[in-house]
Amino acid sequence: MVEKEAPKELKKWVSEKWGTKNLPIGGTVPFHTAYEYKTGDWSAFKAIIDKSKCISCMNCFYYCPDAAIEMDEDMKAMVDVNYCKGCGICAKHCPADAIELKRLTR
Amino acid sequence: MLKQVRGMTGDEAVAYAVKLVNPDVLAAYPITPQTIIVERYSDFVNNGEVDTSFIPVESEHSAMSACVGASMTGARVFTATASAGLALMYEILYVASGMRCPIVLAVANRAFSAPINIHGECTDQLVCRDASWVSLFGESAQEAYDETIMSFKIGEHPDVQLPTMFGIEGFIVTHALERVETMSKTDVEEFLPAERDVKYKFSPDEVMTFGSLVLQDYYMEIKRQQEEAMQNAYKVTKEVMAEFTELTGRKMEIVEKYQLEDAEHAFISYGATAGNAKAVVNKLREKGEKVGALKIRLHRPFPIDDIYDALKGIKSATILDRSATYGSPGTIVQGDIATALYGKKDVPTLHGFINGLGGRVLTLPQIIEAYEKAKVYHEEGKTLTQEWIGYRS
Repeated sequence: MVEKEAPKELKKWVSEKWGTKNLPIGGTVPFHTAYEYKTGDWSAFKAIIDKSKCISCMNCFYYCPDAAIEMDEDMKAMVDVNYCKGCGICAKHCPADAIELKRLTR
Repeated sequence: MLKQVRGMTGDEAVAYAVKLVNPDVLAAYPITPQTIIVERYSDFVNNGEVDTSFIPVESEHSAMSACVGASMTGARVFTATASAGLALMYEILYVASGMRCPIVLAVANRAFSAPINIHGECTDQLVCRDASWVSLFGESAQEAYDETIMSFKIGEHPDVQLPTMFGIEGFIVTHALERVETMSKTDVEEFLPAERDVKYKFSPDEVMTFGSLVLQDYYMEIKRQQEEAMQNAYKVTKEVMAEFTELTGRKMEIVEKYQLEDAEHAFISYGATAGNAKAVVNKLREKGEKVGALKIRLHRPFPIDDIYDALKGIKSATILDRSATYGSPGTIVQGDIATALYGKKDVPTLHGFINGLGGRVLTLPQIIEAYEKAKVYHEEGKTLTQEWIGYRS
């Protein structure tokens, strides 16, 4: 899984602590800023995908509310743990029962 | 410019002015006394006289939401509403200003329910004063016409980029047939840029995030930008009005001063009430009273310096406010005036009179009575009073 990053331009705003003079008006920001927020940190559950069972239907890909599922080179689903909140919607919609939710212990 | 004169109601004047502007999108929901604006405009759309996309929506909340969406594409957008409709829009008013959409909104000022009433009262627009919208009031159909065209130029100025609303009182202005000097299409094309100057907009070519979540770390900066834009709006409104005066020959100023040069006492009002005040000034001047009238055309940003300049040296001011507020130290506009004048030298004592609620006629004897009362309060040394006039006890 490729590590995702917000555009460098945005990081500059943050590091230089931009104020009213430089910030674009109306709260407009470049796209992909959400990559900065590793919302996967909040999760209590983790989705584990059994690739041998995956039938490449992409149901989980479309249903994931956080776009945390990607398809690999073999068109098998994989989870980006940085953004998976462990909601379980993918497991519910998987027709092949290939997704299992495991409680995380920290 | 070629001057033409037509008989129009206030609502029609707005519709005909918008026709000259020919905005890209109009989304609105009918509500008395605004309905005629959009009704006339739908005629223009269906007759092919304009190329506006007309969106009939299911509520005012949707109307303003559609306007925000359209405005974010860089389109020029117009809508109109009144009273309960404006109250329903309230949530999205803040979205429109926060996302810096220079939408133009015509408000046919009408009383709030309950009890239900469809007639003129300016409370609806005044309670939106903190929504970061440039806010204007018009006295007549002519001013409705002129302010429609100016509103687009003020709001769309690159230093402002804020939505603009202008109010005309329900029925008193919206439905009264008056003489209106019209402009030609070429005048408006000369006055108003052909397209908005927008830096960020919905576009497949340059992808951006709009309306993102902004928490403690950036929220105040974004809001402060709005305040700075508001301060710019004051200068821009002044410039636009000067330019408009030059183009049309009709004097347009942020505040209108009437016989104030040698006055000792003054009336302060806005909207249609200003006409009554001026009529009373004429009557009182005949009796030898040294009195003048001040009309506030721009309510947000509030013209602090203009008001101070106009009122300097005046003894007492009678504020005629056609809006309701309860348990307040003054009328809504009186509060702004008092804040603007506080601590300055040679300022008048301020006496607010809430009047004309729900379209109740404000008679000239009532205004004279208010004036006499204000003079007495001034003699008694009261600096700030508020009361209601024109009701049965």
